Amino acid sequence: MIPSITLTRSTTAPALVVPVLAGQIPHAYAQAASADAFTGAPGTICEIFAPPGRILLTGLDEAAGACAAARLLRTPHIAIDAAGFPAATAAALATGAALRAWRFTTLRTYEEDDAPRLAAIDLLSDDPALPALWPAAHAAIEGAALARDLVSEPANRLTPTSFAAHLAPLAAAGISIEILDQAALTTLGCGGLLAVGRASAHPPCLAILRWPGQGGSPIAFVGKGITFDTGGISIKPAEAMWDMRADMAGAAACAGAMLTLARRGSPAAAIAILPLAENTTGAAAYRPGDVLHMLNGTTVQVVDTDAEGRLVLADALDYARRQSPRAIIDLATLTGSIVTALGHHMAGAFTNTPGLLAKAQAAGQAVGEPIWPMPIADSHRRALDSDIADIKHCVDGSGHPDACQAAAFLETFAGDTPWLHLDIAGMEQRDAATDEHPTGATGFGVRLLDRLVADHFEAHHG
Amino acid sequence: MLEVTFADAALPTSGALGLLVAESAGASGLWHEADEATGGAITRAFAAAEFTGKDGQTCTILAPGAGLSRVVAIGLGKEADLTPRKYEDAGGSLAATLAREPAAALAADGLPGAHAAAAALGATLRAYRFDLYRTKQKPEDKPKLAALRVLTTARDEAETAWAPLKALANGVFTTRDLVSEPANILTPAEFATRIHKLADLGLQIEAFGQEELETLGFGSLLGVSQGSINPPRMVVMQWRGGGDDKPVAFIGKGVTFDTGGISIKPAAGMEDMKWDMAGAGAVVGLMAALAGRRARVNAVGLVGLVENMPSGTAQRPGDVVKSYSGQTIEVLNTDAEGRLVLADVLWYAQEKFDPRFMVDLATLTGAIIVALGHEHAGLFSNDDDLATKLLAAGEATGEKLWRMPMGRDYDKQLKSDIADMKNITGRPGSSITAAQFIARFVNEKPWAHLDIAGTAWSSKDAPITPKGATAFGVRLLDRLVADYFEGK
Repeated sequence: MIPSITLTRSTTAPALVVPVLAGQIPHAYAQAASADAFTGAPGTICEIFAPPGRILLTGLDEAAGACAAARLLRTPHIAIDAAGFPAATAAALATGAALRAWRFTTLRTYEEDDAPRLAAIDLLSDDPALPALWPAAHAAIEGAALARDLVSEPANRLTPTSFAAHLAPLAAAGISIEILDQAALTTLGCGGLLAVGRASAHPPCLAILRWPGQGGSPIAFVGKGITFDTGGISIKPAEAMWDMRADMAGAAACAGAMLTLARRGSPAAAIAILPLAENTTGAAAYRPGDVLHMLNGTTVQVVDTDAEGRLVLADALDYARRQSPRAIIDLATLTGSIVTALGHHMAGAFTNTPGLLAKAQAAGQAVGEPIWPMPIADSHRRALDSDIADIKHCVDGSGHPDACQAAAFLETFAGDTPWLHLDIAGMEQRDAATDEHPTGATGFGVRLLDRLVADHFEAHHG
Repeated sequence: MLEVTFADAALPTSGALGLLVAESAGASGLWHEADEATGGAITRAFAAAEFTGKDGQTCTILAPGAGLSRVVAIGLGKEADLTPRKYEDAGGSLAATLAREPAAALAADGLPGAHAAAAALGATLRAYRFDLYRTKQKPEDKPKLAALRVLTTARDEAETAWAPLKALANGVFTTRDLVSEPANILTPAEFATRIHKLADLGLQIEAFGQEELETLGFGSLLGVSQGSINPPRMVVMQWRGGGDDKPVAFIGKGVTFDTGGISIKPAAGMEDMKWDMAGAGAVVGLMAALAGRRARVNAVGLVGLVENMPSGTAQRPGDVVKSYSGQTIEVLNTDAEGRLVLADVLWYAQEKFDPRFMVDLATLTGAIIVALGHEHAGLFSNDDDLATKLLAAGEATGEKLWRMPMGRDYDKQLKSDIADMKNITGRPGSSITAAQFIARFVNEKPWAHLDIAGTAWSSKDAPITPKGATAFGVRLLDRLVADYFEGK
């Protein structure tokens, strides 16, 4: 759930957020600010109780909207007074506030008295440019919220099949949705996706989302969509396994980005390929040591069934290549290794096209979804040599640079198509709320993809 | 060290001959002469072995005639890709292939002298052995290659190029010897003694013992060493070849053995912790190389030498120590000791020498191996210009670096409940948070940190590095100095 946002010039909201620049406190609040030693420094807040209600003087920085909303989560109706600031700043403030106030409420049957209830935001602005700019900003909020909702859904509700049902808002926005079921995948020969999904009572499928834009070759998004990952026969430890409901965050981000592009009427054609499967144990499960025939004809020796993401991505990458895309960007909660490498502040980025990575890095920086370039080196490629098949899909045991090796594996399926792989493990959820972010799903990647398309894939549509 | 000599290009009449062959190149010079003298044996062998000079290909021809014991051809790959690095690797492969020949000649006719010298460097580096503790090796099992004669049409040029490379090889071997030594031999005191022997090269050397370090107030370093009966040292090496310039500074982690201390490590693999001083080893080898080739630069190398042991006197998890900088550190894990050593040495380096920049080397985290593997060392820096130069030097020498991020979000993870900072964070991003910790002790100086945990030791042979101690960092930083800081 995200608050509704109204562009207006006046408000009746009992709480008003007033962004201020350092050293430029509005005269009416100067005395109160002084009493609190508030100077308007970025990231600081001064709360004043004055008629008609609460006023939050908020030192302006990128997180100001979010931090103010964090203080006001229990106020159903607030206003942000962006008068005097450019439209882009106004939009950023509202975006920050809305995303901070997002909450997954679908499964709650009652609310505690102190539950967040921020539901409406009035955005006060005097910049005439705002109405033209706002729909795109709001589309990004909607896309991020969709991704977060999908990630939040537990695996008993969000199966590969029901994932498709959750994509209804996309169809309403003009996106065509095609689902290849198990039979179709078998005919096609998606050996990776079929193997990973075959032990589950919920069969795997491949969802293909198409946004036509104004025609031309599409940009392709590929998202790992493991609706639950037990690890399969190479089963995970019980501790923290519940988190594996979020192992479809890559697919969710792609779906969210598609919704954003459609809602804002992007001229760029886009396609999202979402391999959806549940990786579980069972009598039919694929085994360590099995050799799979992948969609592109490669034979792959399975080493650890818990390295399933790269198998479903491999088939999806090849399917994406068949659409003659301008570039492929895949997102996946792929490895623990990337979490060890980069922690929870950045996603890992791997590519065969450094220029594409640089553009995505700039886009991520601009929207607060940072990524960092990581290597695919010869040693990572050689580590995948198999004794009986074309390639192994991972290296046995722990302590390896698995994120780099996974990327080396995927690289072989991307071929010569410009390709970027974002390992977003560690970025898809937050354990605890901060001033800037709510707890739980982040929707990481949605706004990065939207920004990347806006900045680099729309120009020639003029 | 392999005895390298340069001679004019004349076909030898005995012994072994090495050929460096670019892909699809035609026979010429000594190669052609040898082929003629052996009645076309080389041409026939290449055809039979499908040897075309591809990168990494080798072809050995035993007793081809004309008095030669064997001819070995090493593939260089495509002519367009030929860098000095390729010649180093080819020289290394040649040395490995000729290990059983007491003496060999290399046909380097037609090559620029620099390339001939690069091949000689590669051969020298590959022929390194650490044999100190083998008492029962049978003579037939011992590698015999002791001398390499490089046959060249550019003798003066090659000899000029070789002189600094020989000094560099000596530096690399100094490091490999130190890193290979077991911890019962190489204590901090013994390490310092060996450094003192480098004074002959013109290095000015000063060592600090337990008492001096206490007087200085090296609380962070001393906390690590307090559990061992082997007292710590800090050794400072200065090379003055750059007039009145401010020096460049290199700092090495020298934990001569790391048990982990009270936060003790698991037994499996603990023997590797004898090389937890590889950063210090590299700094010493680098200083030997710079002095050996009379580098036109002022350089200072500082190593913090300690042993990290569990005992009744050992530092405990939860202890708070006061570093030389004055900042306090809550030691939550005694196995995150390298950064505690570096903290005091780095602060001392910037305070005492006001260097142009500081580069530290440390086998610091297991996380860097999970992040990057064994091909790249992690590069962390507060200075983009220095980082760019280091990356370029890494590419040029094959001691490759990969830049890793730093930033406020990572730094914040070091917050302690009772001190200025804590010495560990959780596993996520732990190479980065280790770098953030060190960054708090560089006092805003241009600085780079190389996490060499994955690159200091190799479990298999590489063209110019036999398995074991790699001396990673010596060639890299020698190149950094040569390309960017000498005479400038």
